[in-house]
Amino acid sequence: MPTDQGPDDVIARYLGGEISTMNAQLPKVRKTLSELLHEEHPRVPCLDGSEHSFKLDELKFLASILDDRERDELLLPMIIEVHSGRSEMLIRSRQGVEAKVFARVLDMPVAVEKTGVRIYRSQLGSVRRTLKTATQYVFTL
Amino acid sequence: MAVKIHVTRPTKIELARLKKRLRLARRIQKIIKDRLSILVMEFLQTVRESAEVRERLLKEYDDAYKALSLSVGYHGYAQVEQALMVSSMAFSLHAATRNVAGVRLPTFQMEEGQETLSWLTPGGDSSLIEYASSTAQKCLASTVELAELQSALELLGDEINKVKRVNNALEYVVIPGLDATIKYLSMKFEERDREEVARLKYVKLLIEKREAYAY
Repeated sequence: MPTDQGPDDVIARYLGGEISTMNAQLPKVRKTLSELLHEEHPRVPCLDGSEHSFKLDELKFLASILDDRERDELLLPMIIEVHSGRSEMLIRSRQGVEAKVFARVLDMPVAVEKTGVRIYRSQLGSVRRTLKTATQYVFTL
Repeated sequence: MAVKIHVTRPTKIELARLKKRLRLARRIQKIIKDRLSILVMEFLQTVRESAEVRERLLKEYDDAYKALSLSVGYHGYAQVEQALMVSSMAFSLHAATRNVAGVRLPTFQMEEGQETLSWLTPGGDSSLIEYASSTAQKCLASTVELAELQSALELLGDEINKVKRVNNALEYVVIPGLDATIKYLSMKFEERDREEVARLKYVKLLIEKREAYAY
């Protein structure tokens, strides 16, 4: 069927879909570590309607390094912002609990800024290895 | 590779639209490259983990078979088989999903307490059979872990291929195509401007000639 849409329009629509796919896994709501520890199957709903489950081992590990107040403050999953063309990544953090977690995981002090914790690509492997389900990526420009 | 120039309307509005689209395509390509690098990193990490778990699993199976053959050697086939026939363990596994950069990966988790349950027979067997059963139980946990990693590997590999194709399409088809179309349109407009100048000069010359003849 003939259409007014050129191939470029189709590509633009496809690329728009590609962007939404990338960030579709973002959680609709984030839960605190304390809440998740009380659930039988800890999970959060995602924007695309799916669910993101947490590993109990990871939650137990996080609980072991944080005190009660920090468990109530730590929101999971922690979001790792990947900025295009930059070598470092940002973990949004308000209370600074995330800094404690990442410092413990990386076994070294981390750069804490106003907006959050800054980590480098080379450190990402260690973080993801320890916190596979407790962290998620978001891609930004 | 030949680049296809696709022009619907050779107008300045179209040129502005194409330039905007080119900027968008370049930005999207940057994000796609980021995603690709993250996916490759996750894939390599999963490969490493998978290799570790596989090695551990082989060792555990080795131990389990050794323990089984030892108990068979000590008690004989009949008794071990009898013990195996009556032994039972309720096994439940919780399957869920986790998301990694837009890829939904399965996670398997043995239900709480399953790891500590025993496969011992009700009658109470010898320590050899008990040891064989406990080693077999360890194998089960590692097998579940390996299954999760293997399926993650397959899914990540598929996604990497898809993202690579999109990236290649952008890098070798879309962006060069837009570049070429923009260049073609720019040259066309410049040519049009030059023609316009030449036409005006010619008209001016004609007018001057006409005026000269009039006098």
